[in-house]
Amino acid sequence: MSTELNTSVGTPTHTVVRRKKLFTRRDLTGYLFSAPLLIGIVVFSIYPMIGALILSFKKSSQSFIGEWAGLSNYQYVLTDSLFWQSIYNTFYMGILSVILGVSLSFILASLIHNISWLKWRNFFKGVYFLPNVVSLVATSILFSFLFNPGSEGLLNYVFGIVGIEPIGWFTDPKYARFSIVIMTLWGMLGYNTIIFIAALTSVPKDLYEAAEVDGANWLKKWFYITVPYLKPIIIFMVIIGTINAMKRFTDVWLIGGTAGNPAGSLMTAVLYIYRNGFLSSQMGIATAASYILFFFILVLTIVLQFTNRKSNFD
Amino acid sequence: MNKRSLNRSKVISDWILTSVLLIGSLVMVIPFIWMVFTSFDWAARLKIPFPPRFWPEEFSIRTYQMAFTNIPMLKYMINSLIVSVGVILFSLTSALLSGYAISKLKFKGANIVLLLALSTMMIPFEMTMIPQYLMFAEFKLLDTYWAFFLPALNYAFGTFLAKSFIDQLPGSLREAAIIDGASEFTVFIKIYLPLCIPILATMIILQFLAVWNDLLWPLLALKTPDKYTIQLGLAMFSYNKDLPLPSVIMAATTVSLIPVIVLYLFLQRFIVESIALSGIKQ
Repeated sequence: MSTELNTSVGTPTHTVVRRKKLFTRRDLTGYLFSAPLLIGIVVFSIYPMIGALILSFKKSSQSFIGEWAGLSNYQYVLTDSLFWQSIYNTFYMGILSVILGVSLSFILASLIHNISWLKWRNFFKGVYFLPNVVSLVATSILFSFLFNPGSEGLLNYVFGIVGIEPIGWFTDPKYARFSIVIMTLWGMLGYNTIIFIAALTSVPKDLYEAAEVDGANWLKKWFYITVPYLKPIIIFMVIIGTINAMKRFTDVWLIGGTAGNPAGSLMTAVLYIYRNGFLSSQMGIATAASYILFFFILVLTIVLQFTNRKSNFD
Repeated sequence: MNKRSLNRSKVISDWILTSVLLIGSLVMVIPFIWMVFTSFDWAARLKIPFPPRFWPEEFSIRTYQMAFTNIPMLKYMINSLIVSVGVILFSLTSALLSGYAISKLKFKGANIVLLLALSTMMIPFEMTMIPQYLMFAEFKLLDTYWAFFLPALNYAFGTFLAKSFIDQLPGSLREAAIIDGASEFTVFIKIYLPLCIPILATMIILQFLAVWNDLLWPLLALKTPDKYTIQLGLAMFSYNKDLPLPSVIMAATTVSLIPVIVLYLFLQRFIVESIALSGIKQ
């Protein structure tokens, strides 16, 4: 690969000409080592992204050779009430689960972090994280029984003891989204908590000591030292949580089927993409919807990153 | 405040915190306890009993026999294991080689490769799944495990993890070995690979959990029931059922969780640390 680059244009001929190689052996080895990753990125990230963009402008065929459809796929998706319903549901569940999840796990992490006994700390970390290693399939199946709408469901039975009428958790459009949020919280709480605990241990101890000298109580210390110090991590958790919430599919598909039952209250954006792409083979519409969803995710991420940057100037 | 009363108040607050967290822990584990007990309850095979109970009325392992006759659980678990092992091999090879190259070889364009990897990490799988599906359909690789192994090469997060880890290892090891006439590949295999075992273990855990628990791509890529992964098999069995079969489904779900729970019991602290590390790193 040594290219005959004569760098000595216009120099007298009697000087020694240094030939500079464009790529050294070491560079080539570097590319050879990176080849599996680069092939992976090109074939499974870049090409599909371009492919999806092309498909979204094609008449709903299953190949790239189909007729051009102009903007009609996007027009179809943006005027489809089912799509907007799916976006609404996705956001509804997303916002609820992120706000509740981040705040609850932050409190939980603060509690666990403040126990002086290491054994108990590790025990609680282990227990609260346990639901996180359980698959979403198992969780959904399990909760569809615990949230059984009849009075024989465990949760309704407990409620019944207190005198609350049985609630149709996953069968009542009023409660279905909220029930999914509860299930998500159970599964995700431990993940956020563990990351918060790791962040809490990195807060410099002398800050607290200085505050104690000034006579601050634990609440003041928590509010004026811990919260500001953890702000970047909190924002990060919100971003991750939001992105994950935007991609909700497995649980709603298992519980509400492809129609997002009850009454379409569990129809989410990815479920909409799945329906159009894999049930009715409308790949053009499905990819257009996925690009609109991607746009939503991108905007959200940028907005949240911006909040993060701004908070660092304070 | 003297020291003694301060210590006493600390002990009291510790007890209060522990009690509160114990009650919370109960909420976390009750679903599991109910699942395991119900899975042994022959009386609950057709419908959930009223009033709900934990201890089985008719303790029996016949529910498990029914689960295994209805769903080829063992086959699905072996399938899941094959997929997991393959994905781990492909993704770790890709991540380690590229991470090492970016960190230690410092070739021209290493930063561009890293930037490319980091930016593609942001792309959700849901965005690329349709073209990826069509691509595998084109090459007649749907319904084979190649549909899982090949995309595993695109493990940018692993590259990032490996690179940050190898950054902390001294570069002088490589230089000395190269002067002694070793090839770049030998240096990587003989010197750096053994030092990378901690990060390798972390990646194996993260990837195993991700692959074992995944549903969406198996649902799209696998057609023949014989090739189903455990999650897909379980999902298909419980999906759209006229008969709920509570205790049989609970038995199947329990069995599907055994590998992950056993792994968790043995490696709990390591898994928790891996997750914390990966979360902070991102």
